[in-house]
Amino acid sequence: MKNSIETIWKEGFLNESSLVAPRINDLYNQKSKHLEDRIKRLFRINLVFIVVMAIVLPVIHYFLDAIWQGVSASLLLLLTGWYSIRQAEGINKLDQGATSLDYLRSLNQWLKDVLSRSEKIARFYYPLCFLIALSTVWSAWNKQGEFAVETKKKLPDMIFLGNIPWSALLIAIVGTILIFRFSRRIYRFDVRLMYGSVFGRLEATIAEMEKLNEDA
Amino acid sequence: MSKDFYQASILPFAGIIIKICRAYTNCQEDFEDYYQEVCLQIWRSKVNFREQCAWSTWVYRISLNVCLTLLKKKKKNGKTYFTSDVLPDVVKIENRAFEDESLNQLYAAIRHLSEVDRAVILLYLEEKSYQEIAGILGTSANNIGVRVSRIKERLKKLLDEKLN
Repeated sequence: MKNSIETIWKEGFLNESSLVAPRINDLYNQKSKHLEDRIKRLFRINLVFIVVMAIVLPVIHYFLDAIWQGVSASLLLLLTGWYSIRQAEGINKLDQGATSLDYLRSLNQWLKDVLSRSEKIARFYYPLCFLIALSTVWSAWNKQGEFAVETKKKLPDMIFLGNIPWSALLIAIVGTILIFRFSRRIYRFDVRLMYGSVFGRLEATIAEMEKLNEDA
Repeated sequence: MSKDFYQASILPFAGIIIKICRAYTNCQEDFEDYYQEVCLQIWRSKVNFREQCAWSTWVYRISLNVCLTLLKKKKKNGKTYFTSDVLPDVVKIENRAFEDESLNQLYAAIRHLSEVDRAVILLYLEEKSYQEIAGILGTSANNIGVRVSRIKERLKKLLDEKLN
């Protein structure tokens, strides 16, 4: 090597025109792309999970002697998956806007709209899930009506509606009403678990960009 | 970020930010992303600057931290850098960031070093004292001394192999 690394460095940078700083514009372009990619990835993971569960649940329910409940749960999940796909398509129709800030704002608004629509569906979705789960437990316990027969023998005073004790029905009704009542909270908790960090980052980025604009 | 802040607090150090970002990136697109992220981070962290060190030291520290973090993220996403002990025959066109060919070769060799060694040698080449480098990287001056001679040896070997 003719020159030492120190000399290469010094001489190399003596008349170096490439040391002119690149223009700073559209600072958050890359960031907004990352956020969008992350949201899409989470949507995809969620969808894969839904489809896998829609396949696995009927199999599990088959072994629990509750095949109809398994099929119902599977149908419910597939409907959720179909709804998710339809919602996710909306992200491609978003207004790209003039700047990254415009785009992130419309992305945030779109997410809020999706959540608000999904909250309404969750009002029925969670109670249905609860009823299917309860029905599965009952079917698993009460194979060929053995549980009901034994209960009738042990507790002859208990009132039955068909094969179901009225107290169990009461629990189911109260549970369903409670879940219907708190479905919005359950849904928000559910969403926070899955998308919490990315939503937080999106809002923080928008706040930071707005601050940047104020300073400019 | 106000124009004033950019012109007064970042632009005078643009040279070193560019030198650091070039050492951690392989293409122009990445380089511009890294540069912008460093500038943003400097703007964000201006409130944390307590004047316990020179502003230039602060800028070095942030530039290195941002580049190391972005590089880590990139590696996590599966995009890795070359690690072999032999420089490629031709420095990739996109790596010809400078007009001086020897400088391009030196950068190509620097990119073969580990992330921390890259930081050490960049600061050393910018004529920072071992004490200052140690302060910026959070280690001892002795450690820096040992590292610098080892890194120089490795760079010399890489460049010699390339030239012969």
